Amino acid sequence: MLSSSFRYALELAGSGLAYSVVLVVSLTFLRENPDSPWRVPVTVAPVVPIVFIMLVMIRYIRRQDEMLRRIHLEAVIISFLATMMFCITYGFLENVGFPPFNTMFVGFGMVIFYAITLLLVQWKYR
Amino acid sequence: MRNRLKVLRAERDWTQAELADRLNVSRQTVNAIEKGKYDPSLSLAFKISRLFDMPIENLFIDEETTIPSSPT
Repeated sequence: MLSSSFRYALELAGSGLAYSVVLVVSLTFLRENPDSPWRVPVTVAPVVPIVFIMLVMIRYIRRQDEMLRRIHLEAVIISFLATMMFCITYGFLENVGFPPFNTMFVGFGMVIFYAITLLLVQWKYR
Repeated sequence: MRNRLKVLRAERDWTQAELADRLNVSRQTVNAIEKGKYDPSLSLAFKISRLFDMPIENLFIDEETTIPSSPT
Protein backbone atom coordinates (compact mmCIF):
# COMPACT_ATOMS: atom_id res chain seq x y z
CA MET A 1 0.00 0.00 0.00
CA LEU A 2 1.38 3.40 -0.95
CA SER A 3 2.09 5.90 1.78
CA SER A 4 -0.16 8.95 1.67
CA SER A 5 2.78 11.26 0.89
CA PHE A 6 3.91 9.12 -2.03
CA ARG A 7 0.38 8.83 -3.35
CA TYR A 8 -0.03 12.61 -3.08
CA ALA A 9 3.22 13.17 -4.96
CA LEU A 10 2.13 10.71 -7.64
CA GLU A 11 -1.29 12.32 -8.07
CA LEU A 12 0.25 15.79 -8.14
CA ALA A 13 2.88 14.76 -10.69
CA GLY A 14 0.24 13.15 -12.88
CA SER A 15 -1.96 16.24 -12.76
CA GLY A 16 1.05 18.45 -13.43
CA LEU A 17 2.01 16.35 -16.41
CA ALA A 18 -1.54 16.53 -17.74
CA TYR A 19 -1.44 20.31 -17.33
CA SER A 20 1.84 20.54 -19.24
CA VAL A 21 0.55 18.40 -22.09
CA VAL A 22 -2.73 20.30 -22.40
CA LEU A 23 -0.86 23.60 -22.21
CA VAL A 24 1.52 22.66 -25.02
CA VAL A 25 -1.33 21.39 -27.20
CA SER A 26 -3.35 24.52 -26.48
CA LEU A 27 -0.52 26.92 -27.29
CA THR A 28 0.38 24.98 -30.44
CA PHE A 29 -3.21 25.01 -31.65
CA LEU A 30 -3.57 28.74 -30.99
CA ARG A 31 -0.33 29.55 -32.78
CA GLU A 32 -1.37 27.59 -35.86
CA ASN A 33 -5.04 28.58 -35.79
CA PRO A 34 -5.16 32.17 -34.48
CA ASP A 35 -8.62 32.83 -35.93
CA SER A 36 -10.23 29.53 -34.99
CA PRO A 37 -13.75 29.72 -33.51
CA TRP A 38 -12.42 27.27 -30.86
CA ARG A 39 -9.74 29.64 -29.62
CA VAL A 40 -11.57 30.57 -26.40
CA PRO A 41 -12.25 27.00 -25.14
CA VAL A 42 -8.80 25.90 -26.30
CA THR A 43 -7.03 28.74 -24.52
CA VAL A 44 -8.75 27.93 -21.19
CA ALA A 45 -8.37 24.15 -21.64
CA PRO A 46 -5.28 24.03 -19.34
CA VAL A 47 -7.56 25.09 -16.50
CA VAL A 48 -9.16 21.61 -16.51
CA PRO A 49 -6.06 19.77 -15.24
CA ILE A 50 -5.55 22.63 -12.77
CA VAL A 51 -8.92 21.66 -11.29
CA PHE A 52 -7.53 18.14 -10.81
CA ILE A 53 -4.46 19.61 -9.13
CA MET A 54 -6.77 21.49 -6.78
CA LEU A 55 -8.74 18.31 -5.99
CA VAL A 56 -5.49 16.44 -5.28
CA MET A 57 -4.41 19.19 -2.88
CA ILE A 58 -7.80 19.28 -1.15
CA ARG A 59 -7.73 15.49 -0.68
CA TYR A 60 -4.18 15.76 0.66
CA ILE A 61 -5.17 18.36 3.24
CA ARG A 62 -8.18 16.27 4.31
CA ARG A 63 -5.90 13.27 4.90
CA GLN A 64 -3.66 15.26 7.25
CA ASP A 65 -3.99 15.08 11.02
CA GLU A 66 -5.20 18.00 13.13
CA MET A 67 -1.83 19.62 13.71
CA LEU A 68 -0.75 19.44 10.06
CA ARG A 69 -4.10 20.93 9.01
CA ARG A 70 -3.48 23.81 11.41
CA ILE A 71 -0.03 24.33 9.91
CA HIS A 72 -1.46 24.43 6.39
CA LEU A 73 -4.21 26.80 7.51
CA GLU A 74 -1.70 29.23 9.00
CA ALA A 75 0.44 29.03 5.88
CA VAL A 76 -2.57 29.65 3.61
CA ILE A 77 -3.73 32.64 5.64
CA ILE A 78 -0.28 34.23 5.71
CA SER A 79 0.33 33.62 2.00
CA PHE A 80 -3.11 35.02 1.17
CA LEU A 81 -2.38 38.18 3.17
CA ALA A 82 1.12 38.51 1.70
CA THR A 83 -0.26 38.16 -1.83
CA MET A 84 -2.97 40.71 -1.10
CA MET A 85 -0.35 43.14 0.26
CA PHE A 86 1.77 42.67 -2.83
CA CYS A 87 -1.16 43.24 -5.20
CA ILE A 88 -2.28 46.39 -3.36
CA THR A 89 1.27 47.73 -3.26
CA TYR A 90 1.85 47.03 -6.93
CA GLY A 91 -1.49 48.63 -7.76
CA PHE A 92 -0.20 51.85 -6.21
CA LEU A 93 3.09 51.50 -8.08
CA GLU A 94 1.25 51.17 -11.39
CA ASN A 95 -0.11 54.70 -10.72
CA VAL A 96 3.44 56.02 -10.94
CA GLY A 97 4.40 54.26 -14.13
CA PHE A 98 5.21 50.70 -13.18
CA PRO A 99 4.33 48.27 -15.99
CA PRO A 100 0.96 46.48 -15.89
CA PHE A 101 0.95 43.22 -13.95
CA ASN A 102 -0.27 39.98 -15.52
CA THR A 103 -2.87 38.58 -13.12
CA MET A 104 -1.72 35.03 -13.87
CA PHE A 105 1.33 35.71 -11.72
CA VAL A 106 -0.88 36.41 -8.70
CA GLY A 107 -1.63 32.71 -8.45
CA PHE A 108 2.00 31.75 -8.87
CA GLY A 109 3.01 34.34 -6.31
CA MET A 110 0.54 32.95 -3.79
CA VAL A 111 1.94 29.43 -4.30
CA ILE A 112 5.47 30.71 -3.69
CA PHE A 113 4.38 32.60 -0.56
CA TYR A 114 2.56 29.45 0.60
CA ALA A 115 5.65 27.28 0.13
CA ILE A 116 7.84 29.72 2.07
CA THR A 117 5.38 30.28 4.91
CA LEU A 118 4.68 26.53 5.14
CA LEU A 119 8.35 25.94 5.91
CA LEU A 120 8.37 28.73 8.49
CA VAL A 121 5.20 27.57 10.23
CA GLN A 122 6.38 23.94 10.26
CA TRP A 123 9.62 25.08 11.87
CA LYS A 124 7.62 26.74 14.65
CA TYR A 125 6.22 23.33 15.66
CA ARG A 126 9.52 21.46 15.60
CA MET B 1 1.06 22.18 27.82
CA ARG B 2 3.51 19.94 29.57
CA ASN B 3 2.84 16.24 29.39
CA ARG B 4 4.28 12.83 30.17
CA LEU B 5 4.01 11.47 26.67
CA LYS B 6 7.72 11.09 26.11
CA VAL B 7 8.24 9.24 29.37
CA LEU B 8 5.31 6.91 28.78
CA ARG B 9 6.47 6.24 25.24
CA ALA B 10 9.98 5.46 26.44
CA GLU B 11 8.61 3.05 29.07
CA ARG B 12 7.06 1.05 26.28
CA ASP B 13 10.13 1.38 24.07
CA TRP B 14 8.14 2.94 21.25
CA THR B 15 9.59 5.32 18.72
CA GLN B 16 7.74 8.51 17.88
CA ALA B 17 6.79 6.95 14.56
CA GLU B 18 5.34 3.88 16.28
CA LEU B 19 3.32 6.02 18.65
CA ALA B 20 2.15 8.13 15.73
CA ASP B 21 0.96 5.00 13.92
CA ARG B 22 -0.97 3.84 16.99
CA LEU B 23 -2.63 7.24 17.29
CA ASN B 24 -3.14 7.62 13.53
CA VAL B 25 -1.33 10.96 13.46
CA SER B 26 1.95 12.10 11.95
CA ARG B 27 5.30 11.74 13.69
CA GLN B 28 5.59 15.55 13.60
CA THR B 29 2.41 15.79 15.69
CA VAL B 30 3.74 13.38 18.31
CA ASN B 31 7.01 15.33 18.43
CA ALA B 32 5.19 18.66 18.80
CA ILE B 33 2.95 17.32 21.58
CA GLU B 34 5.92 15.88 23.49
CA LYS B 35 7.74 19.20 23.29
CA GLY B 36 4.66 21.09 24.41
CA LYS B 37 4.49 23.04 21.16
CA TYR B 38 1.07 21.67 20.26
CA ASP B 39 -1.89 20.89 22.49
CA PRO B 40 -3.96 18.01 21.10
CA SER B 41 -7.67 18.29 20.56
CA LEU B 42 -10.01 16.64 23.03
CA SER B 43 -10.58 13.66 20.78
CA LEU B 44 -6.85 13.09 20.32
CA ALA B 45 -6.25 13.55 24.05
CA PHE B 46 -8.86 10.87 24.76
CA LYS B 47 -7.24 8.62 22.18
CA ILE B 48 -3.88 9.04 23.93
CA SER B 49 -5.57 8.40 27.26
CA ARG B 50 -7.10 5.15 26.00
CA LEU B 51 -3.79 4.05 24.48
CA PHE B 52 -1.87 4.50 27.71
CA ASP B 53 -4.84 3.43 29.84
CA MET B 54 -4.70 6.39 32.17
CA PRO B 55 -6.82 9.50 32.76
CA ILE B 56 -6.08 12.62 30.74
CA GLU B 57 -5.23 14.47 33.96
CA ASN B 58 -2.35 12.04 34.49
CA LEU B 59 -1.03 12.63 30.99
CA PHE B 60 -1.23 16.40 30.63
CA ILE B 61 -0.17 18.96 33.19
CA ASP B 62 -2.36 22.02 33.22
CA GLU B 63 0.02 24.79 34.21
CA GLU B 64 -2.80 27.15 35.08
CA THR B 65 -4.25 24.86 37.71
CA THR B 66 -3.33 26.08 41.16
CA ILE B 67 -2.78 23.45 43.76
CA PRO B 68 -4.87 24.33 46.79
CA SER B 69 -2.76 24.84 49.89
CA SER B 70 -3.36 22.42 52.70
CA PRO B 71 -5.14 23.86 55.72
CA THR B 72 -2.87 24.55 58.72
